[in-house]
Amino acid sequence: MDVAHIRNFSIIAHIDHGKTTLSDRLLHRTGTISTREMEDQLLDSMDLEKERGITIKAHPVTMLYRAANGETYELNLIDTPGHVDFSYEVSRSLSACEGALLIVDAAQGVEAQTVANVHLAMKQNLTIIPVINKIDLPHANVPLAKQQLEDILAIPADTAILASAKEGIGIDEILEAIVARIPPPTPTGAGSLQALVFDSYFDTYKGVVTHVRVFNGELKPGLQVKLLHSGKHVEVKEVGSFNPKPYVREKLEAGETGYLTANIKSPQEVKMGDTITDTRHPAPALPGFQEIHPMVFSGLYPINTADYEHLKANLAKLQLNDSAFVYQPETSVALGFGFRCGFLGLLHLEIVQERLRREYGMDIIATYPSVIYRVTLTDGTLKEVDNPAYLPEPNYIQKIEEPVVRAFVICPNENIGDMMALISEKRGSVDHTETLDSRRVMLTSVVPLNEILIDFHDRIKSLTRGYGSMDYEHAGYQESDMVKLDMLVNGESVDAFSCIVHRDKAEGRGRALAAKLKEVIPRQQYAVAIQAAIGGKIIARETVSALRKDVTAKCYGGDITRKRKLLEKQKEGKKRMKAVGSVNIPQEAFIEVLKA
Amino acid sequence: MVESLYVHVPFCAQKCDYCAFYSEPSSGETINRYVAALVKELEWLAPELRLRTVFFGGGTPSLLTLRQWEQILGAMERLNLLGAAEWTVECNPATVSLDKAKLLRSFGVNRVSMGVQSLNDSLLERLGRVHSRAMVFKSFDILRRAGFENVNVDLMFAIPGQTLGIWRETLREALALGSEHLSTYEVIYEEDTRFYAQLEAGKVAEDEDLACAMYEELCEAAEAAGLRQYEIANFARGPDVETGAPGLVTRVPERACRHNVNYWRGGDFHGAGPSATGYVRGVRTRNGSNTLLYCEQIEHGRRAIEFSETLSPLARAGETAAFGLRMVAGWPFGDFQKVTGYDLRNEWAADMEEAARRGWGRVDEQGFRLTALGLRFADSAAQLFLR
Ligand SMILES: Nc1nc2c(ncn2[C@@H]2O[C@H](COP(=O)(O)OP(=O)(O)OP(=O)(O)O)[C@@H](O)[C@H]2O)c(=O)[nH]1
Ligand code: SF4
Ligand SMILES: [Mg+2]
Repeated sequence: MDVAHIRNFSIIAHIDHGKTTLSDRLLHRTGTISTREMEDQLLDSMDLEKERGITIKAHPVTMLYRAANGETYELNLIDTPGHVDFSYEVSRSLSACEGALLIVDAAQGVEAQTVANVHLAMKQNLTIIPVINKIDLPHANVPLAKQQLEDILAIPADTAILASAKEGIGIDEILEAIVARIPPPTPTGAGSLQALVFDSYFDTYKGVVTHVRVFNGELKPGLQVKLLHSGKHVEVKEVGSFNPKPYVREKLEAGETGYLTANIKSPQEVKMGDTITDTRHPAPALPGFQEIHPMVFSGLYPINTADYEHLKANLAKLQLNDSAFVYQPETSVALGFGFRCGFLGLLHLEIVQERLRREYGMDIIATYPSVIYRVTLTDGTLKEVDNPAYLPEPNYIQKIEEPVVRAFVICPNENIGDMMALISEKRGSVDHTETLDSRRVMLTSVVPLNEILIDFHDRIKSLTRGYGSMDYEHAGYQESDMVKLDMLVNGESVDAFSCIVHRDKAEGRGRALAAKLKEVIPRQQYAVAIQAAIGGKIIARETVSALRKDVTAKCYGGDITRKRKLLEKQKEGKKRMKAVGSVNIPQEAFIEVLKA
Repeated sequence: MVESLYVHVPFCAQKCDYCAFYSEPSSGETINRYVAALVKELEWLAPELRLRTVFFGGGTPSLLTLRQWEQILGAMERLNLLGAAEWTVECNPATVSLDKAKLLRSFGVNRVSMGVQSLNDSLLERLGRVHSRAMVFKSFDILRRAGFENVNVDLMFAIPGQTLGIWRETLREALALGSEHLSTYEVIYEEDTRFYAQLEAGKVAEDEDLACAMYEELCEAAEAAGLRQYEIANFARGPDVETGAPGLVTRVPERACRHNVNYWRGGDFHGAGPSATGYVRGVRTRNGSNTLLYCEQIEHGRRAIEFSETLSPLARAGETAAFGLRMVAGWPFGDFQKVTGYDLRNEWAADMEEAARRGWGRVDEQGFRLTALGLRFADSAAQLFLR
């Protein structure tokens, strides 16, 4: 396709504002998918995406659109995830585009992720087409949404298109705007091939499938190319695009997005943001993007120690399609052999766990999540600790620094007090308060990352009855008075439950954890003592009393089948518990402590 | 040939609050229809039966009228089903009359199991029982006068509202009756009962410590009265004798209920009547629970079996091991091998060891049995042995 007829754009928005639903509509209207193939959130192809109704991975699709002017355009769309854990997917997607469709839910208005994503798009000088979606909702407030576009984002309100992805309203207008307003790709001026790697996935037959945006030159099978960052040379085997399934094309030309396959076996060989160029006539690298690093760490252990190798193999498989996920072997006194895993956030952690359980049928437990602490020892050496088990004894520690984030909370005026209280409860400090419009404010604050991991977002949602939202960016480290909280079960420290907390919060957390564990550990033949301790000092204690007997029931001929089935079920349940010393701890306990 | 027969009589005067058994309020006509169907079912089973034990349970078998009993007993005579060494009929103290008792006795019924449950009138009401404490004493007297020398008394403990004092008093009075056998159960909150609903609603609470104290009290008092425990919930008089099952060396007190012992030894039995279970040649069957449907099927010449299950030999042996351990005698290795074809010492060696480690079991040359502690954890111990 000639460059003048190509448009590359991402769809960005706050979570749930309707990106995927609108993408589906565009695919349908352009005839990329037929009415028969149409289903809700078609692009959310993973089971987990469908079930949770959220997008986890960015999805590129190529559409052909016959515009009102009679000409046919190639539209390359990338649907992006809205959740903050996956915001790196948004910035990568944007780097392959000249424009962005910004979706704003007419009932919710501009929210924290809207602001964050607009800033990403503006930083890359993209053309933004604002779309006010869900205008079919009875409580849609279009004038207010428009006002917010102007006031908060400095986007002229009269450029906004009113739409309902659900009802199919405004779709034609959006397509025309894409053609009219988003500029066609412009060559970079380099003399030969330049293609930006912005994503990849693993296919059992094809190996690594690399998503690329061609900026200069063309990509076609047989071409010898070089990956500038890794220095690797490969021959292009196949190129193509998505509709949304991959389909083979003859070549990808300047301005187009699509994929390529080559003899690449491991996703690690392809770095996101790398530039692919012609081996014989190398061109300079395109500006790449910042590498992402996992922020949250947790140990994953098989319930049955015999499943270790199995778990290892499955983690490797997961990583093939999830480059943000990292793992390495570790051992735990209580849990045996497992893996230390790094995640982008708690949702990412949850998703990986759930996929292991469901797609791979694994019984696993996860340890309490931790961030990376920077520990300066008394001898001046610096140590990074992402596992409470490896925190040195207090007398060797000179200081501990913890990661902090800059959090942006948008909330209705009447909730300012609640939000201030919440932020201070989370050891944060509000830097400034900005009036967004007549009804809402944005609080910018610095908050320790470990405090926002567990329930910060949920609390905002519930305190504001759904009207508050939040986004954050990493903001370095600060020195804090952190201590290690140990949880002991019958005198044995269970490292899965240990965590590093601020001294002021240690006691409360210890009590809450002990109470929660008492609730979730089933009674056993022996009394089970649950203790919370800081540096050997017990600060909370609970006891799960001993089970003294089973029920003395009659059991005659007619009762046997039913009783046997009941006993079989209980026996099965016990197998799914982790034996820690002499105590059986169910899988749920490891999940429940997160909610303590 | 099958030596044991269970007959289910699915009628009760009213539903007790804790009961999840299949039984329903009776109407004379339905009962007549049931009796006819039962007789027909017995006709089908008779050629396979040479009876050593018979058990009429319910429901409330004593609710059947004299005439209805005559019909059943007459048919059994015709079918050569009389003469079992042990023949039990369950009775509710409210429905025992001298005439009925004599009739049963004259046809060879030689054991009666009385659903006493409690001797405290307010608890009886709490349980939703139709009888009073006075009726218990009166009925017991009638049974003795009718010539029953083998009577069981059923008692319940851990009833909501029952104190340790009340339980002691009930135990004292019940044991003073001098019955040959005692069965005792803890209240179980089974789904679909009024008790369960009350528990769910938080109107009653379980008190494990109290239940334990009551159980200890029971074991001591029964032992002192000459009733020896031979199964988790069962006590009987008499010196130890063999069970009567051919070829087994397991020993039980003389007045132990042989019919139930047969269940715990993994023996065969036929079942007749709605919801009755049978276990013959490794196949477990259960009749449908709906009385009218049961009658209809039998009337059309069809068996009323709604469920049947055939386990693998190993699973069956595991089940036999698990439930057999409920008996104080445990499993003599020879008996277990005779019944199941498996040697406990091979397949279950690790489980016996684990049970012993937990203080639940004891192994010696002859066999494996649960300890006093193990009997209290019989369900958990049973789990170890299931396959
Ligand atoms: N009433 C109404 N509902 C809509 C409209 N568009 C989307 N929705 C609903 O909003 C919810 C979220 O839609 P998605 O398309 O999954 O939103 P998303 O922005 O892709 O969400 P994430 O990928 O998780 O960020 C779904 O329940 C949709 O059915 C609309 O125009 N009107
Ligand atoms: S009499 Fe027995 S079978 Fe009938 S309802 Fe009461 S407990 Fe249940
Ligand atoms: Mg989506």
